[in-house]
This record gives sequence, structure tokens and C-alpha cells, in this order.
Amino acid sequence: MIERHRMRSLLALAYMNGIVPMRTQPLYLLGVMASPLSFLFFITVASHGLLLRTAVAGGMVLTMVSIGTSLQSDMSHYRQDLKLQDLLVASPLEAPIYVAGIALSELVYSIPGIALFAVLWVVNAPVSLVTLVEVVPVLLLVWAFASGLGFTLATYFADVRETFIFSTLISLALTVVPPVYYPVSFLPPAIQPLAYLSPTTFAADLMRNAFGLEPLSVLARATDWGVLIGFTIVLLTIASFKSRWRDV
Amino acid sequence: MSAALSSTDPGGAAIVARGISKRYQVGRHPIDALTEVDLAIPKGKIYGLIGRNGAGKTTFVRIAATQLLPTSGSLTVLGQDVVKDASRVRLSIASVPQESRPLYFLNVDELIFLYLMMRGSDRVDARQRTNAILDELSLTSVRKRLVSHLSGGMRRRAMVAMVLASDAEVVFLDEPTTGLDPFARREVWAAIRRAKRDRRTVLLTTHYLDEAEALSDRVALLEGGRLKIEGSPSEIRESVRLPYRVTVQGGFSRPELEPYGEVSPFDGGFIVFAREPAARELALAALGRGARVSLGPVSLEDIFLQIVGRPIDQDAPSEEEGGGGG
Repeated sequence: MIERHRMRSLLALAYMNGIVPMRTQPLYLLGVMASPLSFLFFITVASHGLLLRTAVAGGMVLTMVSIGTSLQSDMSHYRQDLKLQDLLVASPLEAPIYVAGIALSELVYSIPGIALFAVLWVVNAPVSLVTLVEVVPVLLLVWAFASGLGFTLATYFADVRETFIFSTLISLALTVVPPVYYPVSFLPPAIQPLAYLSPTTFAADLMRNAFGLEPLSVLARATDWGVLIGFTIVLLTIASFKSRWRDV
Repeated sequence: MSAALSSTDPGGAAIVARGISKRYQVGRHPIDALTEVDLAIPKGKIYGLIGRNGAGKTTFVRIAATQLLPTSGSLTVLGQDVVKDASRVRLSIASVPQESRPLYFLNVDELIFLYLMMRGSDRVDARQRTNAILDELSLTSVRKRLVSHLSGGMRRRAMVAMVLASDAEVVFLDEPTTGLDPFARREVWAAIRRAKRDRRTVLLTTHYLDEAEALSDRVALLEGGRLKIEGSPSEIRESVRLPYRVTVQGGFSRPELEPYGEVSPFDGGFIVFAREPAARELALAALGRGARVSLGPVSLEDIFLQIVGRPIDQDAPSEEEGGGGG
């Protein structure tokens, strides 16, 4: 496939799975935003408003992680129930374009959620170009690794119902348990190192730094960026080598 | 006829399989879904792959459509190896997998148009092809209808339209009419026949023998993952040992019929598979006794019964089951 064809395929997938459902199934948008907004509400109320901005940062990260879990559910459904993956394997479309197209569609589909958090951010925190320059790449990295993880898992499940269980567990492991909606300092010191097993901890650290909530040293920022990029590269590499396009 | 490669010139073949086998490991037990299948599928023809559920049809199609790796053997599509040159093979193929369903939130127009775009067509070409196929398959009146609101037959027709709208030279249709009512089946048949007019190669799997007979230029019968017979429907009819079927109702007991050929019970009477002289002799004798009798060439269904030893809708013993779908 030549580059122009790849771009068409990518955009067609993004339109098919992002724009069309937004038009035909607008209620699903509320489903995408339900978890991030629920946590935002809970954390804000429980902290008497003190952690609102922390929760807005966490909500953005969770929205991006939700893309990966949605991608996993969509791809499992398309592969197992609709046989869409088989249909597309037998065509010029290549696996990386399929993954990128579906990932892009999930990003498009979550734009209303991100926009809502962006409004909450603008209303509650100072905004500068520097903040934007830091926040956007962090969110894109979270989108990339969550999509890689989602695709890899989707190709391994034999039953769509398994993906629902795993989606919940992944959300729990990446966004609820780690310090995404709350500062890492809230955890007992003994278990704080465990929080850094999750890439979302590094992303949330960078988000809070960008929001001016928890300034990081240059070394800590560099470490966070390095680890986040590393996680993304590893997960995308695993996705490209371990995921199954053709069955064996 | 059973040595499929010798019956068709592989040089004019769209698909050539040599010794293709697929073994699945289910727990500790290996299951042979396909065993040493040789086939040459000619270009520009509709080729029917027939057999019961679990015979290995879907496994063969999935290997040919680059969706599944074979365990051994080789298979080429338009001269390209499906394992080594899969990306080249994929430029010229399209497939409607077994039990596939269209994306329910798209309308018929979007389904076809977006499929073509995903294959890499430009907008103008995709639009022209979409309009043309909707028109040819009489889907224009439902083009803006969500596929979730279509009948089963219309959905399958939309799926077939999708692959026929592409520029694929080889089209795989795996059980395209399973579960459809007779009217809907004929709608899909019309769509498949359209592919032949375009000189495309269509590999069609079905367990409806009337469908294979109605659509296919050539057929291959798979049973337990092995190729049993291959040829045009008329060649297969000529090659079977007992090419005539006589149905007799009344006037004869089974022992009286056995000298004429192979006897199977049928609808209160008997079917006798026989050679031509014996079939004529039996028909005349039956008329003499005032029995209800009919005489004619065997159908594919009868051939299946003769070759496999049981009707196509009767499951095989479990040790002969081919895994991994039909």
C-alpha cells in the first residue's frame, strides 16, 4: 500500500468508528465520560474541593486510558462477533493502519470528554502555552500506550465477555489504584514505590506539574518523560510483535 | 477426479493448493482440520467447496484468504504464496467470512463506501463503485437505511455487495447464505452470479448442495479434512459408480430392490442408486407393479451420500471431526 492509500484507510477507519457512532449513537458519549466524571465528582466532594484541579488532571488521564479499554472492547467485538478483522485481513489494509485507525477513532470519540475537562481546567487553573505544550504530548503518549495495550489484549481473547472483565481490571490497575486522581504523597511511604509500576503515575505526575499543582525538579521531569516514553515504546513494540493479525 | 491438481491446469488457476494441512492443538489433543489437500481453482469461475460442518471448508478458505496460517503444504493465490507474500496476495482478494455481520451503526451506503476507502480507494472511485453496486444489486432504495434495520437476506447481500464493489480479482464467500430463507438465498445468489460476469474468481463454501450446483462451475467435496472428489457437477455425476437414482414407493420390499443397486430408505419408500440399465429395468418393473416411481440422474446430495456414506446433514462420528470450523 502506498502512503496516500494508507492515509485514506486510516481516515476511513477513524470516520467509521469515531464520527459515525457519535452521530448515530450520541448516548454512548455519556458512557465514555461517565467514569472520569464520576471520579472527579467523588474526589472533589470528598476533598471539599481541594483536589478539584488534581482530579481534572486525573480525569484527562483516565479519559485517555479509557480509549485503550474501549479500543480493546471494540476490537474484540469486531474480531469475534462481526468478523471484521478477518474481513479486513483479506484486503490491502495493513495491521498497523487498522490499529492506528481504530485508536484515532477512539481519540475522536473522546474529544467531547477531553473538551469538558479542558473547560474545567481553564475555569479552575491558570493556562499558558507552556502548559499546553506539556499536557498534549503527555495525553498523546497515554493514548498511544493504552491503544497498544488494548490491541494486544484484544487479539488474545477468545470471548468478548473476557474483555469486559479485563477492561475493568485494566482501568482499576492503571487509573483507580495508582495516584492519578490523588497525589502520590497520599499513599503510605512504604507502598509509594509500587505506584511507579504503572505508567499512568508518571503521566499524572507530569500533568500535575503542568497544572502547577506539584512542581517537579528537572531531573524528576526528565525521569517521568523517559519512563513514559519507554513504557509507550515497549507496549507498542509488544503490540506489533505479539498481537495477532492472522490466526495461527 | 479425486486428484484435483491433475484435473485442472494449474497454469490457468487462480488458487493452487499443494498438500495443504492444518492441525489445531486442542488441549493435549491434535485435531486435523485439513489433511494434504491438493486443489487448483481456475480463474474467472465460481468454485464451490462443499461438505458438512467441520469438514474443513472454512479452514481452507481462511488459509487461502491469508487469515490463518497452514501447518504444512503451500497455497498460492494468483501465483503469490499466502505465507511468504501475504501482503501481495491481499492486494487482489476480498472475503466475506463465515458468520460475519456488517457494522450495525452504518447505513448500507457507508458500509460499502467506507470498506472501499479502507481498502485504499480514492473518494471518487469509491463513490462511483458504491453507486454502481447499489444499483446493480437493487440496494439503492435502502442505501440510507441502517444495516441493523435490514432483514438477514439484505444484510448478507450488502456484505456481498461490499466485496463485489472492490477491485479484488479473487473473492471468498464462506457460507454466504447460511440461515437465510429461500427467497433471501436467491437474492444472494443473484449477487454472486454478478461476480462471474466480471470474470472474477469466486471461492464459495456451502453445505447446501443445491446452492453449489446452482452457482458453481466446479466443486470439491471435503470430508473430515480430506478432499473426496473434485470436478464440474456433470463430471462428478459421470464419475460416480451409480449415476442414476430411482425412487420407488410401494410394490417392492428392500430385499427385492437390492439386486438393482444401493438401497436407502426414503419417505416411506426407497431410493435406489443404480447404473443406467439397472435403473431402467427397475423403473419399468415398478411401473408394472403399479408403484410410484421416478428416475433421474443423481444430485450432488445423492453423490455426497454415496461417497461419504451418510447424508450431508448427519454429523460424522467424533473421531472424524475436523476442528476449527467448517
